Amino acid sequence: MGAHSDNGAEGPFVLAVPSKGRLQEAAAAFFARAGLELVQGRGVRDYRGAIAGVAGVEVAYVSSAEIVGQLAAGVAHFGVAGEDLVREKVPDVEARFELLSPLGFGHANIVVAAPRAWIDVRTMADLDDVASAYRARRGERMRVATKYVNLTRRFFAEHGVADYRIVESLGATEGAPASGSAELIVDITTTGATLAANALKPLDDGVILRSQATLIASLTAPWGPNTRSAARDILARIAASEEALESREVRARLPSPAHLAVEAAYERFGAVSATGEDVDPHGFLALHCARDKVAELAGWLLEKGAERVSVAALEQTFDARNALYEALEKRIRPDSV
Amino acid sequence: MTPTVDAPTPTDIVSQAPRSAGERALDHFLAAGFERTEPPILHPAAVFLDMSGEEVRRRLFLTADATGQELCLRPEYTIPVCRAYLASDKAGWVAEYSYLGPVFRARAGQGGEQTQTGLESFGRKDAEAADAEVFTLSLEAATAAGGGALAARVGDAGLFEAVLESLEIPTPWRRRLRRGVARGRGLDAIFNRPSQGALAQPGVLAALESADHAGAKALVEDLLAIAGIETVGGRSAGEIADRFLEQASLRSGEPIEAEKRAVLDAFLSISGDPDQAAVALRGLADSAKLDLGSALDAFEVRTGFIAARGARIEDIRFSAAFVRDFDYYTGFVFEAHDPEAPGARTALAGGRYDGLARRLGSARDVPAVGAAITLDRLANGGDR
Repeated sequence: MGAHSDNGAEGPFVLAVPSKGRLQEAAAAFFARAGLELVQGRGVRDYRGAIAGVAGVEVAYVSSAEIVGQLAAGVAHFGVAGEDLVREKVPDVEARFELLSPLGFGHANIVVAAPRAWIDVRTMADLDDVASAYRARRGERMRVATKYVNLTRRFFAEHGVADYRIVESLGATEGAPASGSAELIVDITTTGATLAANALKPLDDGVILRSQATLIASLTAPWGPNTRSAARDILARIAASEEALESREVRARLPSPAHLAVEAAYERFGAVSATGEDVDPHGFLALHCARDKVAELAGWLLEKGAERVSVAALEQTFDARNALYEALEKRIRPDSV
Repeated sequence: MTPTVDAPTPTDIVSQAPRSAGERALDHFLAAGFERTEPPILHPAAVFLDMSGEEVRRRLFLTADATGQELCLRPEYTIPVCRAYLASDKAGWVAEYSYLGPVFRARAGQGGEQTQTGLESFGRKDAEAADAEVFTLSLEAATAAGGGALAARVGDAGLFEAVLESLEIPTPWRRRLRRGVARGRGLDAIFNRPSQGALAQPGVLAALESADHAGAKALVEDLLAIAGIETVGGRSAGEIADRFLEQASLRSGEPIEAEKRAVLDAFLSISGDPDQAAVALRGLADSAKLDLGSALDAFEVRTGFIAARGARIEDIRFSAAFVRDFDYYTGFVFEAHDPEAPGARTALAGGRYDGLARRLGSARDVPAVGAAITLDRLANGGDR
């Protein structure tokens, strides 16, 4: 870390995103919504790119598993990865990463699933019981097929289940019980349809992780002035579009000066003045309010004497406070400046 | 000029070179006739995972061979020495080994390599004498290596089994008690388990209350047929039926009678030096009409051998609830820490593991007892 800042030649800010498939498209769409257009190099086979209009940022197109590795190694500053991979591959996630923002796509659960025929097994406590009886009866441990070795071990330990063996499975895990290579599985599932098709059922309390694609910052990457500034810029835009997506602008004119109404609207509906503290003495009012509170707020304004209330969608809302970046900056060690 | 002081000759230097802590301990084992052995460092990971469970996986240094078989660096010596013994022409016969070398365990913030020394005794029929010898030799060796006396704690899995047997505790509860006690849980925690899924199926259980195995199996098969489930993975319909029967039998009232539980409680709270404990155990056996027979005799004989070898019985602490969390330990268990060492972590651990040989593929049980010393947990850090 010292080397690049000593000679003043700070490396670029590296954003690692999935290199193919639906995840790549979804990630590109997420950044585009924040006004960050990912520009891939000359062709689709070029694995380096940039963000239009943001200098000093290099976009690296890599596989999902590699993204986690690059973040852990500090080669990438930001990356988009499923929380499942992050929790599986990195032993001390909280110390190495800042999970900045869930991205709203790539939803899937990692679950413990047993054969449907095990009608006496519904919970992890049942499984514990059955596993130790299985071992006492056969002298062998029950086998769990999974590619999530670490998540499985941690979850089973939390539930006090000890009499099992992990069989590492790198594909088609759900077929393991039918083929006789394992008794149960831990796998990722979106709808549960694959489990059902293989005569498996998830246990009632067997959800290990509710995962989705997440924007992650590496705390071990080299953070110099330029990379920090790039991070601040990217996060400001993401926050602006995220908040805009969840908010509506509500405008009305009240018969009396509006400052009391602004305070009351904040207390009742969490709405804030669209332009900060400045309040119009003639009763004009523009508020930003969470989408699901808009109707209530509008009703309340009509009650207060407004003749007409207009509601509009927002493109982006920039705030002087950049909460996402502030959270990150607290965690980047000052000595890596 | 001729020097006024004789320069040491090379042979003097060799003979004066101080023995390391590990070598001092090993010397003690060698002098007692335990032949030094050095088993392989690389082993199939499955051996350790099968014996100790997946929890040890995070401690293993794993790798794979060309065929993809998972291998690991040995995390301890007992299983490697036992495997080497079983593969040798001495398998099944008396053989006594000592060792000194590195073991490999992944630990956050630590090196991953530790030096262990220890001894393993196989095939001896005089179990109590062998127990006493391994116990006292290992404590003496740790003192020779580390300088100070260790504080020892002992237990006896054989006594615990005898109590469970004599109280006629139902099999599923024996399983839970063994495991719960080994993990240091109290009886309240063991018996007050979170309610289980099957208990939420009172209809099934009520239908099974007076059923036998065949009746229960038929019911389970019917249930599976009604649900349209054809394949039964891993467990047979009979096994599922047996578990329902077990649940049905445990459903009404307390898991075990209050009197039996009181006896278990009294047994598990017995502690003190081994002589005091023996008196308390005899007292409990008489008052509760427990048949502890040969297990209690063995306990007293062993204490006698330990005393005969010059150890101070009053310095040893017995605890009936001290059971090791590995099911191949079948009798005497012990551990010791150096009170002078920072953190006073367990520096010496051992016990009787007659069940290990069979678990490693032997056709029959082989009597075995052993102990290991982790040198850097002694007060002098094993001369670190």
